Amino acid sequence: MAVFLQSLISGILIGGVYALIGIGLTLIFGVMRVVNFAHGDIMMVGMYLTYLLFTLMGIDPFVSVLISFPLMFFFGGFLQKVFINRVLNAVAQNQILLTIGLGLIMSNTVMLIFTSDYKILTTSYSSSTIQVGGGVSVSTPLLISFLITAAITAALGWFLLKTDTGQAIRATAQDRDAAQLMGINVSRMSVIAFGLGAALAGTAGALISPTYYIFPQVGGTFTLKAFVITVLGGMGSVVGATLGGILIGVTESMSAVYISSGWKDVVVFVLFLLVLLFKPSGLMGKSRT
Amino acid sequence: MRKHLLALGAALALSPCLMAQKIGVINSMSGPEAPIGENITNGIKLADEDLKKKGINLQLVWEDDTGKPQISMSAMEKLATRDNVVGVVGPYTSACSNAVAKLAEKYRVPLLIPAAAKEEITRQGLKYVFRMNAPADKYASSLIDAAASLGKPKSIAFIYENTDFGTSTTKTAKEYVAKKGIQIVADEPYPKGAADYRSTLAKVKSKNPDLVFMVSYVADAILLMRQSKEVGLQPQAFLGAGAGFTTTEFAKERAISESVISCTQWTNDVNWPGAKDFGTRYKAKFGKEPTYHAACAYASMMIMAETAKNAGGDRTKTRNALKAGKWNGVMGEVQFADYDGFTNQNNHQMLVQQILSGNYETVLPAQFATKKAVYPFPKWK
Repeated sequence: MAVFLQSLISGILIGGVYALIGIGLTLIFGVMRVVNFAHGDIMMVGMYLTYLLFTLMGIDPFVSVLISFPLMFFFGGFLQKVFINRVLNAVAQNQILLTIGLGLIMSNTVMLIFTSDYKILTTSYSSSTIQVGGGVSVSTPLLISFLITAAITAALGWFLLKTDTGQAIRATAQDRDAAQLMGINVSRMSVIAFGLGAALAGTAGALISPTYYIFPQVGGTFTLKAFVITVLGGMGSVVGATLGGILIGVTESMSAVYISSGWKDVVVFVLFLLVLLFKPSGLMGKSRT
Repeated sequence: MRKHLLALGAALALSPCLMAQKIGVINSMSGPEAPIGENITNGIKLADEDLKKKGINLQLVWEDDTGKPQISMSAMEKLATRDNVVGVVGPYTSACSNAVAKLAEKYRVPLLIPAAAKEEITRQGLKYVFRMNAPADKYASSLIDAAASLGKPKSIAFIYENTDFGTSTTKTAKEYVAKKGIQIVADEPYPKGAADYRSTLAKVKSKNPDLVFMVSYVADAILLMRQSKEVGLQPQAFLGAGAGFTTTEFAKERAISESVISCTQWTNDVNWPGAKDFGTRYKAKFGKEPTYHAACAYASMMIMAETAKNAGGDRTKTRNALKAGKWNGVMGEVQFADYDGFTNQNNHQMLVQQILSGNYETVLPAQFATKKAVYPFPKWK
């Protein structure tokens, strides 16, 4: 029972961080219909930003979210305005090539600057835990990052539902042409959406860095993960991505315990295929024509 | 005319320099294995210096395999055919070395592998492939012997990355514990680079093993130990088989690395000829402690270069001289022997070490020990 609870809890906590990556990707897709293959690399940039702030200025990784969120927002906005915006109406292959290319440029630039060495952030609480009782323990940094994730997701939900800009973003996601006819500045919404997506990916990078390690090629794994989460939850659905992230986190952790850690990716992808088979638009997705 | 003759004479006198023998080096200088590859690079650089002092001038041809077997193979092809090297030292990882070994045999280029652990590399009867370090079976047997001599472990759990290095080390370890009558209670291969091992570790914890045996590279080693502490995994001993558990980065993480037992091919306090001196000079030159990879690479390059020079740059003669030779240096006695199904394998003495107060201290075998081992593993704070 302790093992079950332990893996359930750590699955949910790590799933929270996955969800944050997925939400960013789904937001970008929803508004622009562009699948951002550079998403993991943007997250990697966020990780290095956290690393720099921590080693050079001694800013705690969790506090540094306050700095990296806006910085990554502008970085994302810049990418959208200069690069992505030019391929919005191009064929899908070109969009994919562009984002993959951007990702390669990011990871190789970082490799030139920082070399390919693994960087490990060691904070005073990196390996500290909270005992929940019954032999179950919760990693303190992971718990903090989950709480921050939850807060950010709630804030994002409020922003999208209640504010004018949020509604404009949702309108753009729903129907770009109609939104434009209603007087919404859709290109501006695209910049904001991409900026938000990048900021969320960067934040996920910051949140995971006290418990994980950092290297220039770290992005690939997370791009794939974000992609699975987004498709599983339904492309463009924020709630779906949240659910998808936690579902993937728990599945990974459960299959590591009850099957084998070597097989957990297989289990995740089988689940993914099953969802696609029975609900092709994803868990929360609406099918589009 | 006289001028021309003089020039010709000068050219002839200089020719040994101009025709310096080429030795190839294949190493992981970038990519995920680069942090360990760097030690090999430094060891070879120091060997190059020492060889120059001895009057052996050689031209090193460096190739970076980025840790990928396919790149390693093309590097070998280039060294063998285009650069015409006499011999090659490298590559670092098991996967790369295994891929390159067959090519070395094909092109008849003597290959001296400094620090790859996979046993099969020297078990294929390849005549041109030599290995300096002890293979994976020694990692396992020396660690398990150490634990058995320190306490009375009855059960063991294996956690290892599902790569060539991880699975081959664990495979031999499993065979060895079966002989020793220790029960295997958990067997957990994991995909390298996962963010969360907590569930795996919780499962291992529920089996309550006396020993936890781990095989990982640098970053995962730290992650695994951090999360072991988190879930409160408390065996009699954590045994780390080489690689990630024998790096200074790992020892620096004192909260989680203290009292972890690992084994290594080399330490700088061992009384092999020149070992201490190598340690001090290495530290003075590169500003950090040498790892065993550095010593293995240094010894490999020294042996390869001297042999190649004595053989006059002939590949077959170099190969025969490597096979027949016997050396005594920073790696202790070196001889490339055929035993237990191995070919051209140096039967190297492994050292068992434990991290005590943030330093690697040799605890076994007794004649090399600097400190007494701490056993069982102290309670997590």
